[in-house]
Amino acid sequence: MLIEIKDLKKSYSLGDSEIPVIHGISLHIEKNEYVAIMGPSGSGKSTLMNILGCLDTASSGHYYLNNVDVSTLDDDALSLTRNREIGFIFQNFNLLPRLNAIQNVELPLIYSGTPGNEGRERALKALEKVGLSDRLYHKPTELSGGQRQRVAIARALVTNPGILLADEPTGALDSKTGVEIMRLVDELHKEGNTIILITHEQEIADYAYRNIYLKDGMIHSDRPNHQRKNLG
Amino acid sequence: MEYGENIRLALQGLVDHKFRSFLTMLGIIFGVASVITMLSIGEGAKREAIAKYQDLGVNNIIIREKSLSDEELEEVRAKFSQGLSIQDANVIKEIVPGVENITSQAEKNTDVKFSDKSVKSTVIGITPDFLSLMNYKVQQGNFISEKHYNERLKVCVLGAGIAATFFKGEDPIGKLVKIDDQWLEVIGVLASKSLFTETVGELAARDLNTDVYVPLSLFLNRFTRDNVLSSEIQQVTVQINNSDRLIEASRIIDEILKRHHFNNDDYSIVIPYELLKQEEKERQIYNFLLGAIAAISLLVGGIGIMNIMLATVMERTREIGIRRSVGARKIDIMSQFVTESVVISITGGVIGVFIGIMLSLVVSLFTDINTFIKPYSVFIAFSFSVIVGVSFGYLPAKNAANLKPVESIRYE
Repeated sequence: MLIEIKDLKKSYSLGDSEIPVIHGISLHIEKNEYVAIMGPSGSGKSTLMNILGCLDTASSGHYYLNNVDVSTLDDDALSLTRNREIGFIFQNFNLLPRLNAIQNVELPLIYSGTPGNEGRERALKALEKVGLSDRLYHKPTELSGGQRQRVAIARALVTNPGILLADEPTGALDSKTGVEIMRLVDELHKEGNTIILITHEQEIADYAYRNIYLKDGMIHSDRPNHQRKNLG
Repeated sequence: MEYGENIRLALQGLVDHKFRSFLTMLGIIFGVASVITMLSIGEGAKREAIAKYQDLGVNNIIIREKSLSDEELEEVRAKFSQGLSIQDANVIKEIVPGVENITSQAEKNTDVKFSDKSVKSTVIGITPDFLSLMNYKVQQGNFISEKHYNERLKVCVLGAGIAATFFKGEDPIGKLVKIDDQWLEVIGVLASKSLFTETVGELAARDLNTDVYVPLSLFLNRFTRDNVLSSEIQQVTVQINNSDRLIEASRIIDEILKRHHFNNDDYSIVIPYELLKQEEKERQIYNFLLGAIAAISLLVGGIGIMNIMLATVMERTREIGIRRSVGARKIDIMSQFVTESVVISITGGVIGVFIGIMLSLVVSLFTDINTFIKPYSVFIAFSFSVIVGVSFGYLPAKNAANLKPVESIRYE
C-alpha cells in the first residue's frame, strides 16, 4: 500500500483558540491509482494535500507513506521524502523565474546530490517527455502557460517520485491548454505513476478513476468514477 | 547540494542586481579600504621611526654632555666635575660588560670656509671607530683611519650637504677647507642622511649633512673651545653586543659617571632602542584607535549587508518555498543565503583592497606621510570581510531556512 492515512486531524491555532480544519480522515491509496480529491473551499483539501505532500504535518493521527510513518519524521527527513517520493504540480506552476527551463527541472536533482552531468541528462529526458525539447533555455517568462506547466511537470517527474501531487493543475490555463495538460497527466498514469489530483472542478475530477469528496474536514464520499472521461 | 551551485547562484544574483549589490557592498568596500589605508599609514610611521633610530644605532647607548648655562657650568666645575672626558670613555670600556665598541666625540659649532664660500657647521672630532658604530656611509673617498688619528693628520670628511655647497660637482677629494685658523685636506664625503627633525633626549634636531668630521686627536690639539670650562668631549657612544642588556649597561654607566662626576648631573644617557620601544608603545594606542575606526566601518558595512539580506529573504519567500518543496533541506537554504552574503562581502573586500592600496599610494604620493602596505594587512582586511559576510549573513539565512515550506510556497 502506497498511502495509508489513519484518523488524521489537523488544526491551526489562532491566538488561544484551536481551529480544526481536518476532523479525522482515514484513507488508502494504492500504487498507480488516479485519484481526484474534491471539495469546496474550506473543506480542507489544500491542508490534506500539504500533509500528503509532506509540506505540513498532521496534529494527530498517522500518515504512512511506503509504510513509513511520516508524522514521526524530522524536517530533514521530510525534505528528503519530498525530494524522492513526491512530485508537485501547482496551479501557478511555481517555477523559479531566474532559471531557464532545464535549470528549473534540474533543481530537485541538485538537492538529491545527483552529479551535474547525470542531472542534466535526466532533466533533458524529462523535458523531452513533456514535449519541450525545443524550449530548454527559455526562462519561464518566455514560455506560455501550458509550456510553463509542462516544465513544472517535467520537474515533478525528474526524480521518479512515488506520487505526483497536482493541485489545480489547470486552474491558471485556458480550457484547451488544460485538456492538453490533462492528457499528459493521463499518459503519466498509464506509464505507472500514481496521481493525486486536487481540484474543485468536477470537469477535471472526471478524468480520474476515483473521486473523493471532502466536506468540512471529513470524507463525504469516496467512490470509483464510472463516467470517466477518456482522452484516448 | 554542491558548493559550486551555491556560488554560481550567488554570483548570478549579484549580476542580476548590480546596483543593489554595489550599494550593499559599499560599507564593506569602505571598511576594508580604510583598514588597509590606516594600517599602511601606521606601518609607514613605524618604518620611519625605525630608520630614525637605526641612524643612532639600535645597540648603542649615547652619553651626552648636558647643555648648561655659563653659571651652571661654573657651579658644576666648582663641584669638581670635569665634564665628559676621554677618561670616562676608557673607564666605561674597561668596567661595563658587553661593550663591543666605544667612540668619543668632541664638537664645536663654527664656520667652515672654502674659497669665498662659508657654511655654518658642526665640526666633530671623532675616533676611527665612529663609522662602525653609526649607520653612516662614505659616498666618496675614505673615512678617518687609525693612521690619521694617531698622527693627528690635518684631514676632514664632509657631510653631503656641505660638500655639495662647496664643490658643486667638482671632485672634493684633496681640496683644502679652512676651519678656524686650520687648513684641512678633504679625504672623503659621507652619503646624504635624512634630516634629523626631532630632538631625541639631548640630541638636538639638526641637519647632519652640514657636519664636518676630523680626527679627535687633531681636534683636541688644534681647535680652541668657545668656553674654557667646556668639557673635553661632548659625547660618548657605547655599542653593546646584546640589545637585551642595554638598560642594565646604561645603569652601570650611570653609576660610574656619577662617581667620576662627583654626583654632578652634567650628562644624560640616551638609549635609542628604548626610545624606539617607547615610541612604538605610544603608537600602539594610536594604531589601536585607527584600527577601531576601521573596524567600526566594517561593522557598519556588515549591518548594511544584513539589512539587505533580510529584505532579500522576504522578497524571495516564494523561491525558498519552491526550493523546499522539491527537497531542499534547511541547511541547503541556509548555506545558499550565507554563501550569497559571503560572495557579496568577498567581492566588496576585493574592491576594498584595491581601493585601499590606491589610497595608500595617493597618500604617500601627495602628502609627506609615508605609507607601507604589508601583505598581512591585506590578508587581515580580506579575512575580516569574509568573517563579516558569514556572521551578518547568518541571521537572515537562518530566517530563510526557518520559513515554513507550506506558508512560503503560497506567499504572494
